[in-house]
Amino acid sequence: MNTIVELKNLTKSFGGVKAVDNVSMDFEKYRITALIGPNGAGKTTIFNIINGFIKPDKGQILFEGKDITGLPPHKITKKGIGRLFQDIRIFNKLTVLENVLVAIEGQSGENFSNAIFHRKKMIKEEKENIEKAKELLDFVKLSDKKDIFAENLSYGQQKLLSIARILAQDSKVLLLDEPTAGVNPVLIDSIIEVIKKLPQKEKTIILIEHNINVVLEISDWVFLLDEGKVASFGLPDEVLSDPVTREVYLGV
Amino acid sequence: MNYLLHILIMIGIYLILTQSLNILMGYTGLLSVCHAAFYGIGAYATTLLMMKFGINFFIAVFISIIISVVLSYIVSIPSLKLKGDYFVLSTIGFQSIIFSILYNWVSFTRGPYGIPGIPSPSIFGFTFADPSSYLILVLFFVIPVIIFTHLITSSQFGRVLKSIREDELAASSLGKDVYRFKLTAFAISAGIAAISGGLYACYLTYIDPTSFTISESLFLITIIAIGGSGNLKGPVVGSIVVIILPEILRFLNIPDTIAPNIRMMIYALALIIFMIYKPKGIAGEYGFE
Amino acid sequence: MILQFLANGLCSGALYSIVALGFGLIYISTGIFHFAHGAVYLVGAYILYLFLIVLKFNIYISLLFSLLGASILGNLIETLVYNPMRKRKVSPSGFMIGSFGVYLFVVNLIALLFGNETKVLNPGIEKTFSFGSVILTRIQIISFITFIVVSLLFLLFKKTKTGNLIIAFSNNPKLIETIGYNPHKIRIIIFTIGSALAAISSSLSALDVGIDPNIGMSALFASAVAVIIGGVNIFEGAIIGGILIGILQSLVVWQTSARWMDAFTFLILIIFLLFRPEGILSKKVRIEESV
Repeated sequence: MNTIVELKNLTKSFGGVKAVDNVSMDFEKYRITALIGPNGAGKTTIFNIINGFIKPDKGQILFEGKDITGLPPHKITKKGIGRLFQDIRIFNKLTVLENVLVAIEGQSGENFSNAIFHRKKMIKEEKENIEKAKELLDFVKLSDKKDIFAENLSYGQQKLLSIARILAQDSKVLLLDEPTAGVNPVLIDSIIEVIKKLPQKEKTIILIEHNINVVLEISDWVFLLDEGKVASFGLPDEVLSDPVTREVYLGV
Repeated sequence: MNYLLHILIMIGIYLILTQSLNILMGYTGLLSVCHAAFYGIGAYATTLLMMKFGINFFIAVFISIIISVVLSYIVSIPSLKLKGDYFVLSTIGFQSIIFSILYNWVSFTRGPYGIPGIPSPSIFGFTFADPSSYLILVLFFVIPVIIFTHLITSSQFGRVLKSIREDELAASSLGKDVYRFKLTAFAISAGIAAISGGLYACYLTYIDPTSFTISESLFLITIIAIGGSGNLKGPVVGSIVVIILPEILRFLNIPDTIAPNIRMMIYALALIIFMIYKPKGIAGEYGFE
Repeated sequence: MILQFLANGLCSGALYSIVALGFGLIYISTGIFHFAHGAVYLVGAYILYLFLIVLKFNIYISLLFSLLGASILGNLIETLVYNPMRKRKVSPSGFMIGSFGVYLFVVNLIALLFGNETKVLNPGIEKTFSFGSVILTRIQIISFITFIVVSLLFLLFKKTKTGNLIIAFSNNPKLIETIGYNPHKIRIIIFTIGSALAAISSSLSALDVGIDPNIGMSALFASAVAVIIGGVNIFEGAIIGGILIGILQSLVVWQTSARWMDAFTFLILIIFLLFRPEGILSKKVRIEESV
């Protein structure tokens, strides 16, 4: 397996409860790997650890073979790992277009002295970035809404916006936390279409999903998590038809 | 006529102060209660540089901007690592400490006795002594400050600040070094505030620490609360409203002994009412919601 | 000499602990940084002054009205200012600023009505008692005893059902509702107790050193420091923080001068914030872990 992200013996406790218990996982490059499991199994915690929001008590995270454990979130993002939040977290009082623009990397004007003294360069970049952002908004079908405040979008549209935002980041690895949750079925299809195309664009997807149909349709690999441990791993059909999975979900 | 000029000069000085606070509060979303400290640092630094070392006003202001920026890092580097409430408390602490220094270090700042006889700014033989020329001097600073603020806030830098204000965590997940951006925003606002201090000192020709207390910091927040924040219009509206208000009071013939108290009570009441009913202020884009 | 200053510090620290306890109770259970606590503190002291000196009531009645007045003010603030803000989903910064607006309003009103000068409530020489080389006034001793009594009462309160609930309230009104309690009623209890504690503290301080419109500020900042030191453990934090501030301030006054007291309080605050923002006593919780 061509591994791009590797988790080694990760452990994290919160007040005596092991949210993540000696978890080791390999994620294959340019593939879509799903994490499934009941609530509280540790999936989002794992995402938070990979992202840098939480430091593990023990263990390591390797990205492209290099140790990124303990780095702050913004540095991990710069290395190429992007994050989609379960609770969306778009920028409410920025326009839809601005939400996508702010995600684009390498903007010279983000340095304050450049914003004053090297304005021409910034304006040129801005023109290019606006084109890129518009393309992404086309991709998620939000172009007609580009100038309204993000807070005025519907929930599903905000989800799409957050997807456009993560695509703007040009990350190599995308951590998608429940991308279809709370979205109406028509929109789910749009979202699935978008995600399916990503490996072709040289992106690796790690996905937390509760919707089994989505998992079956788009994932290459599935990890089943239960109570902070990896309960099983394999191809989507295998894992999902495995009796162990049913036990874990139904607590039988 | 002089009266009108006085009002315009004060509006100008407060405009610079509130635009700078707006960068911090309205755009970056950081509540700071020590803006008056930087106002005071600017005033005292400019004054002392002019009077003790004979430095020209314009150069003195420039140096006081640098002093203000450097001092801002002393408070921002440690305290921006802390959660919201705690940062505010640190700014309260910094404000208190600066006031204490200005008030108690009598040998350096003359403490409560204040510094009288501050000379008027002059350049190439021309002195800005009378109100109309002083107004021009103030405009000479107000216009660049507004342009500068506009350049900053409409740039990619400004956009990141807004994203930090909206959701810090999400901003950091986009690769933005939130801490660094906050430090820069804080430094910029402190530097610009120092300009107002210099202008204020030379206009009044007398300064003492009581103009730079925590009440003054809160007064500045009141202007932002009333006028609105997060865009450039807000502080303009706020400054105008809040400077005109006491003048209206004067027409009501309220005795001088209690006038300052009544004024503060009106501001305080306005602050409360705005926080409850209109957190966006009169003309703002972002509010305390 | 140092013993005297330590003793003085202990007694003034005792009063800080009392007001800090009130502040901490409100902060932990409602999440509001109740700046206006300083106003409540102030009003408590001035009501005492009004009844004791101006209207010439006896001390007990005056104290009663002081506590009553403070509690009413505290609840008025919650009803007229905080509740509307809560309904409109104002941000925590908005609460803080609104609260400070209340503080400013009240301070200026008091200055308007009573003037800015310091008023002494106990002219003449206070009765003193000697404990070895240390001399304490009657008020200082009463302050310390009050502190002990308040502490014991608070510990008892924490063990009652209501007390337990309030500490658990921790700004989670939905949780309270599901257990079947009325968050509004709980808030009344919290603000009443918190405000009464402020009034007790300011009344005793008033009898000791007098009053002026700015006493609220010092009490407020000492409260903030105490709450920061203790973190979630408001009781331990208030006690340790209050006494610590009292003693340190006393030592500062002894060594340098009273004028630097406020700045010094802040230096302590900032140092604590840098090294231990969650308080000395609480376990470390990182910001990100609330994601």
